[in-house]
Amino acid sequence: MDRAIATSGLTKRYGDRAAVDRMSLTVGQGEIYGFLGLNGAGKTTTIRMLLGMIRPTSGTAQLFGTRVQAGARELWSRVGYLVETPHAYPELTVRENLEATRRLRHIADPKAVERTMERLALDPYADQRAGTLSLGNAQRLGLARALLHEPELLILDEPANGLDPAGVVEVREMLIGLARDRGVTVFMSSHILSEVARIATRIGVIHEGRLIEELSTEELERRRRRWVVVDARSRPAARAVLTFSGYAVEERADGALQINGERALARPEHIAMLLVEAGSPPTRLAVEQEELETHFLRLVGTEGRDEAWPD
Amino acid sequence: MDALWVELLKARRSRLPWLSAIGISLAPLVGGLFMVVLKDPEWARRLGLISSKAQLTAGTADWPTYFDLLAQAVAVGGLIVFGLVAIWEFGREYADRTAKDLLALPTSREAMVLAKFAVVAGWSAVLTLIVYLLGLAVGFAVGLPGWSAGLAAESAVRLATTAGLTIALVAPLAWAASAGRGYLPPVGALFLAIFLSQVIALLGWGSYFPWSVPALYSGVAGPDGQEVGIAGFLIVAFTGILGLAGTALWWRFADQT
Repeated sequence: MDRAIATSGLTKRYGDRAAVDRMSLTVGQGEIYGFLGLNGAGKTTTIRMLLGMIRPTSGTAQLFGTRVQAGARELWSRVGYLVETPHAYPELTVRENLEATRRLRHIADPKAVERTMERLALDPYADQRAGTLSLGNAQRLGLARALLHEPELLILDEPANGLDPAGVVEVREMLIGLARDRGVTVFMSSHILSEVARIATRIGVIHEGRLIEELSTEELERRRRRWVVVDARSRPAARAVLTFSGYAVEERADGALQINGERALARPEHIAMLLVEAGSPPTRLAVEQEELETHFLRLVGTEGRDEAWPD
Repeated sequence: MDALWVELLKARRSRLPWLSAIGISLAPLVGGLFMVVLKDPEWARRLGLISSKAQLTAGTADWPTYFDLLAQAVAVGGLIVFGLVAIWEFGREYADRTAKDLLALPTSREAMVLAKFAVVAGWSAVLTLIVYLLGLAVGFAVGLPGWSAGLAAESAVRLATTAGLTIALVAPLAWAASAGRGYLPPVGALFLAIFLSQVIALLGWGSYFPWSVPALYSGVAGPDGQEVGIAGFLIVAFTGILGLAGTALWWRFADQT
């Protein structure tokens, strides 16, 4: 697979602090790459380096095999981007903002603006000043600007920000469609793993400037912790039976019993049989999987640090 | 040309053209008021302070004095108004956080900077024309004596040269707006330039300090004031080129965080 993005030892230092530290990653053409990290992990700095807005302290970034630099104008006609919260010219209308982008991107087709507004459901707001748009519609306008020239590579920083649930689904489907039908490569950052996992083919986790893990969505599924949850009318009796049979049982905050270990996962029906035979039949028995966000927090070692996890 | 089209659209849709036109129009209007005051001493006496102030700065009520006033207004007021136009053009991209959307496009960053400067220079020229035409209207309305076509043409050239010098001197403010990422640092730099221009001119070195040159050229220091030689013009041109190049290089090479 040809590479749309390749970084090698990409580093950005501000004094002693490394905002991005020796990052090497590759994204194949047509892939949807989820770039995951907490706030301040280095996602936006990486994206700005990929777009030639920040000069790396060391290392290189390449897009389509061409080294990224500010003057690489040929390259930028193949790339659409959205960096941080999108801001448009507030005194211009939605249509005028897009018309300005059309001119600056040298797009010959004047219908591109109407087409993109329709695609992003912005046509009802075409003549509304951008300064009066809701956060969600401002985000749509940002995405419209990124998509106006039908780029081969989309670099999107938190594209779901500010969108309502319907908008999130809409944008997700659109990105999946672009990758599937037109082979567009999508590199999107997010701090919400569950959102990324729904769309990405591959996920890279960045923490404190370093790429700490890179895995496919299937691999992610495999790595998530699983356990069996059991409840019964007499929890002490059920616990005693299971412990006696050698299961590692712990009581959860809601009082139900959680059984960890491969043995329980391999044959959950055996647990049901045991409890029935002991006269304490289960009122509930389920195999549960670790929440994606919990898995992510475990990965970056900040489990339970709620303040770093506003969503 | 695309970048220029976009910059013109943004400028047209802003309040800047109206606000700056109103601001610069004060010069011929207030100048006209001084002329009225000087022309009618009886009425001037009734006005008290204003008439004595007008007497001090303007001298006599005639076309040569009024044209002098207009040139001085473009030199001093122009630095403020043209400076604010430049500060808005560049600083707004940071204040509105739209700069990042201009950085990775098929249109080069240098083209963007040049388009912005073209709008600043073009609009400043229009403002100068407003001063001149409004000045003519006010002068005729007041009925000033001493008109001649030769004087009008000579004054137009002096006004245009003063405006040209002033426009060149706002270029470093564009750099200050870009490097300072907003409005406040360049406004501070503008005040500093105005303050230093006064102090240095008072010390007698004004013809070598770029921001003093337009005012000295316009004759603000009177007939016996410091002369602006070729060195003064070159220093202004060099400052303008340095400001323009500095802004373009900053957009091209500085980290845009």
